[in-house]
Amino acid sequence: MESILLGLGLEEATAQILGAILKALIVLLFFVTVGGVLTWVERRLSGFMQSRLGPNRVGPQGFLQWIADGVKLVFKEDLVPDGADRVLFRLAPYFCLIGVFCTLVVLPWGSGIIIADLNVGLFYFISITSLVVIGVLMAGWSSNNKWSLLGGMRAAAQIVSYEIPVGLGLLVPILISGTLSMQGIMASQGWLPWDWMLFKSPFTVLSFFIFFVGSLAEANRIPFDLPEAESELVSGYCTEYTGFRYAVFFLSEWANLFVVGALTTVVYLGGGNLPGMISGLWVVSLLVFFLKTGLVVFLIIWIRWTLPRFRIDQLMKLSWKYLLPAAFLAFFGQALWMLLTWKLPLVQLAMAVLIFLTFLVLLYLFIKRVSVNIKEQKTSVNSPLPAEAGK
Amino acid sequence: MGGYFKNIKNGFQSVFEGLSVTMASMLVRPVTVQYPETDISSNETIQRSYKSTLMGMPENYRGVLGVNLETCTSCGLCVKACPIECIVIDTVKCDKTKLTDNSGNTVLNRFTQKEALKTRASTRFDINIGKCMFCGLCVIACPTRAIQHTNIFEMNRHNLDDLVIAFVPEEEKRAAMARGEEIEKEAAAKKAAKAKAAKEKQKEEKTDD
Repeated sequence: MESILLGLGLEEATAQILGAILKALIVLLFFVTVGGVLTWVERRLSGFMQSRLGPNRVGPQGFLQWIADGVKLVFKEDLVPDGADRVLFRLAPYFCLIGVFCTLVVLPWGSGIIIADLNVGLFYFISITSLVVIGVLMAGWSSNNKWSLLGGMRAAAQIVSYEIPVGLGLLVPILISGTLSMQGIMASQGWLPWDWMLFKSPFTVLSFFIFFVGSLAEANRIPFDLPEAESELVSGYCTEYTGFRYAVFFLSEWANLFVVGALTTVVYLGGGNLPGMISGLWVVSLLVFFLKTGLVVFLIIWIRWTLPRFRIDQLMKLSWKYLLPAAFLAFFGQALWMLLTWKLPLVQLAMAVLIFLTFLVLLYLFIKRVSVNIKEQKTSVNSPLPAEAGK
Repeated sequence: MGGYFKNIKNGFQSVFEGLSVTMASMLVRPVTVQYPETDISSNETIQRSYKSTLMGMPENYRGVLGVNLETCTSCGLCVKACPIECIVIDTVKCDKTKLTDNSGNTVLNRFTQKEALKTRASTRFDINIGKCMFCGLCVIACPTRAIQHTNIFEMNRHNLDDLVIAFVPEEEKRAAMARGEEIEKEAAAKKAAKAKAAKEKQKEEKTDD
């Protein structure tokens, strides 16, 4: 981009600054679009999962609903409650936004497509998302509202506790790839499923579960959405927010959904890796990346409409009593496994294929279970029971 | 310690089962009926999926009032029963007729158990469903069950005037009016003839004296 600007006859320093601003704008636009579209996707999917239709009025299949919502929210009055800490109150949403937005810098969209391939990419990722906690806590504290404060405190407690298992869980892929750079982690995997980080050993599977559950908690998704917990805290830390600031909170929340999906894809599901013959096609690589990310996002939405919310003590128990020991187990187990099979790549491959096949078997069992449930749900409420019909 | 691993196993099992349930309901057709766009009264699949009668309404559902003019004696009891005066009836005289219902049976007055006689015809039978509160008192009062609740619940109209349902069509109204006038004239003629006869009789009696 800088070279194009230089070609227009600008000075080097100006071109650098302008290029950076333009790049940031492009990414911001992408960020807003993804966050918006995901709100529609989520509402629509949740509708189907509850035998409803979901929003389908604005535009084809209701696709423009997110624009309508956004416009509505922007035009609402921007209220600052009486007795609120005005500066902090106004600043808080942007901390959330920046915390999520900055992660896009290190996301590899495909092989070679990355804004900045930092050599501490994953570490940067984990640390920059911590800004979200500060934003949420600020919002809760400055609102001068008990529900908000409770929500903010819960968020802080929750995100800080889940960062530990998530960090420890991510040590396993780092151990295997030997680098913190996102491109490096992606390059250490292949395009075949058994070359993915997820299937490499039983311990990577374990670390995937820890990372995934922890990320759900860090992204404040149901079943871990205690900071919002409508039934207990009205709307948690964003109770007092209206209009544009409220929209910013929700935008960052949904964009976070995408970011979690993308990180999972890059670290565990092989990212945008392509087979050797077509590895140069960056468009295909981008498509593969988005497809995998979409599947993970779907899984997260799916879990949201399946599981009920945790109680706060259950939440803490899960983190400290289950995930943390499991994360240590995964780390040491993987270290041991790598030592034992250091010179036996065939054993490693066999294990990977075996785990992949196990997953396929599980998938088959799951599909069978789904078909049983479909039959059960298709039975009309008013139709006679099978026992009565036989008489 | 046993409980610890049991918890983990239970967790995985319930997530597995829960995810399969939600996936199944995602693949089954949504039950939502997009009401004003879908014509519910002529959509067979919707009607079949309910156990009850038309549009899933139970038989004793109090919908919009309906009047069967074939069995109506224009007695006006419903007008008197109505607490908010949403029924308006105008009547004229008509030929004395015994009423038969749609299947040809004689209609009985269900209070006196005698055959219902129609001596007056309605020229106007209006019910304002904007006022009606669906209490059903008119239905209780009606001796021939001519006025009854239907199970139609779609009552939205685009005009206020459309809220008034007129049960007597214009031609029938004109016919009844004409017949009523004729009957009045005949009656007047008869009366006049009777009066004349009486006068003549009086005269005769006088002349006799």
